[in-house]
Amino acid sequence: MIGKRLIGLFVTPALAIYLCFFLIPTGFTFYFSLFDWSGFGTEAQFIGFDNYRRLWNDPTFWLSFRNTLALLFVGGFFVFVLAFLYTILINSGIWGKKLFRLVFFLPNVVSVVALSAMWAYIYNPRYGLLNTSLKAVGLDEMGRTLWTSPDNIFWAMLAALVWVFTGFFLILLLAGVDKIPPDMYEAADLEGANLWHKFWYITVPMIWDVMTISFVIWIINAVKMFEFPFAFGFLQVPQQLYTLGIYLYIMGFGQRDPIYQLGYATAIGVVMLVLAFSLIVLVRRLMRRDQLEF
Amino acid sequence: MTLLRRLPAYIAIWAWVAFTVAAILWVVMSAFKSKREVLRSGLKPPAELRWENFETAWTIGRLGEFFSNSVVIVCLSVLLILVVSTPAAYVLSRAKFRGRESLTNLFVIGMGIPIPMLFIPIFGILAWLRLSDSLTGLTIVFVAISIPFTVYLLTGFFASLPSELEAASLLDGCSDFQTFRYVMLPMAMPGVATAAILNFIWLWNEYQLSLVILNSPENRTLPLGLYSLQNAMQYTSDWPGLFAGVTIVIIPTILVYAVLSEKMISGMTMGAVK
Repeated sequence: MIGKRLIGLFVTPALAIYLCFFLIPTGFTFYFSLFDWSGFGTEAQFIGFDNYRRLWNDPTFWLSFRNTLALLFVGGFFVFVLAFLYTILINSGIWGKKLFRLVFFLPNVVSVVALSAMWAYIYNPRYGLLNTSLKAVGLDEMGRTLWTSPDNIFWAMLAALVWVFTGFFLILLLAGVDKIPPDMYEAADLEGANLWHKFWYITVPMIWDVMTISFVIWIINAVKMFEFPFAFGFLQVPQQLYTLGIYLYIMGFGQRDPIYQLGYATAIGVVMLVLAFSLIVLVRRLMRRDQLEF
Repeated sequence: MTLLRRLPAYIAIWAWVAFTVAAILWVVMSAFKSKREVLRSGLKPPAELRWENFETAWTIGRLGEFFSNSVVIVCLSVLLILVVSTPAAYVLSRAKFRGRESLTNLFVIGMGIPIPMLFIPIFGILAWLRLSDSLTGLTIVFVAISIPFTVYLLTGFFASLPSELEAASLLDGCSDFQTFRYVMLPMAMPGVATAAILNFIWLWNEYQLSLVILNSPENRTLPLGLYSLQNAMQYTSDWPGLFAGVTIVIIPTILVYAVLSEKMISGMTMGAVK
């Protein structure tokens, strides 16, 4: 039996730090979002839901919101299509499975700032890896594309993100597939099932729970996306790269010049939390089904 | 015949693997080139190894100072995270008391909070505690944001341990603390090690909260230092210097990953795959 004293002694330190420096501050966000507050040390003024009304009419906010949704759905589509595709390929009985898994996950252990420097160089219009390779294989016209021009920069950033996150979800899906008893596939082989049949009728139902968790993790990551697009935008992040997280930071702290619209910035934070939690609830509801017995 | 049928799979996988490896190798190789060479030589290896690029990044880019900042702050944070999270996870998975599940959920909910929400409140709180722009303040915040995942991971790990030994040690007259210290903790060490590695890698690369909290140049962590190096590069166009910086930042995590990837990956997937 673990006594009451030990329970208190063991839980309190973690709980105290977590509450004081993470959970309660997050809760404060709701409160601050009701104030007009233009700098630390200045008096905040209660204005009710005015910050939210302002957000509704703020085109830059809607741009950031649209970018976050594009990241979530377009990015998510490619991440999961590729992660599934490579899960099937790596699991089709080929040699070197562990090595491949290792390399696919590699970008996830590298600093995002380092990755953004690398991608900036890949996309460099004159000397970059991408345009040099395109010219080398004779695609001269494509090899002159300005990948980081205002029209392209968001999609260029997204392609890099897909490269990072595909490896992350590949790891999760592969671990799920590894748990499937191999005799299910053997039975399917005897029945003459092809790769697609095996994927759709065995793999998908058997890793349903892993898929649900993967979608939830993706939602959380996509909604809070800040670091990679921020670093990718260099000194002055162009608006085409704004996500909700970046717009929050800009409104709160500014880039070269401070802005300090703290109340307004926290309202963006509230939108992020509401977006993340409603999408998570939606996904869990859509993916709910009876427990599979095997 | 089978090899031929599997050829498309091999090609698709190797294309991805080759790109990833080539991109990273190319960055490391470029760190040894001269400014002109970086722009001209493409994928060719450097003509000679120019270590002076690393010297520039280390001293003029001040990555040397930032490196020690990062080492101190990350190691201290990981240690503190484990010291507070391991006992909490033990109690949450093994003790019987009312409200245990709600308390576990309270910890876990932190994993769903978007970190940018914390930017403004945490800046205010640290300013109020006179800890803004300090490595102490950042360490506390690092510990706080890492507690949810660590507690979640370790709770799962403790729950997977057999309960017979626990009962036996109590019968032998151990106190509940001794049971934890001498029986359960040693058995949980693989889980604790996994938590340590994952937190090390994440905090080593963390840069959004560092960006918000740290202001003075001498306090910068490595990712922040690299970020300012990247921005300065726009004026100096010193690509090799930037890539030397990138290499300095990524070497520690890649080394850890090379040695301990199995452990890391099993830790990452443990929570998701039951």
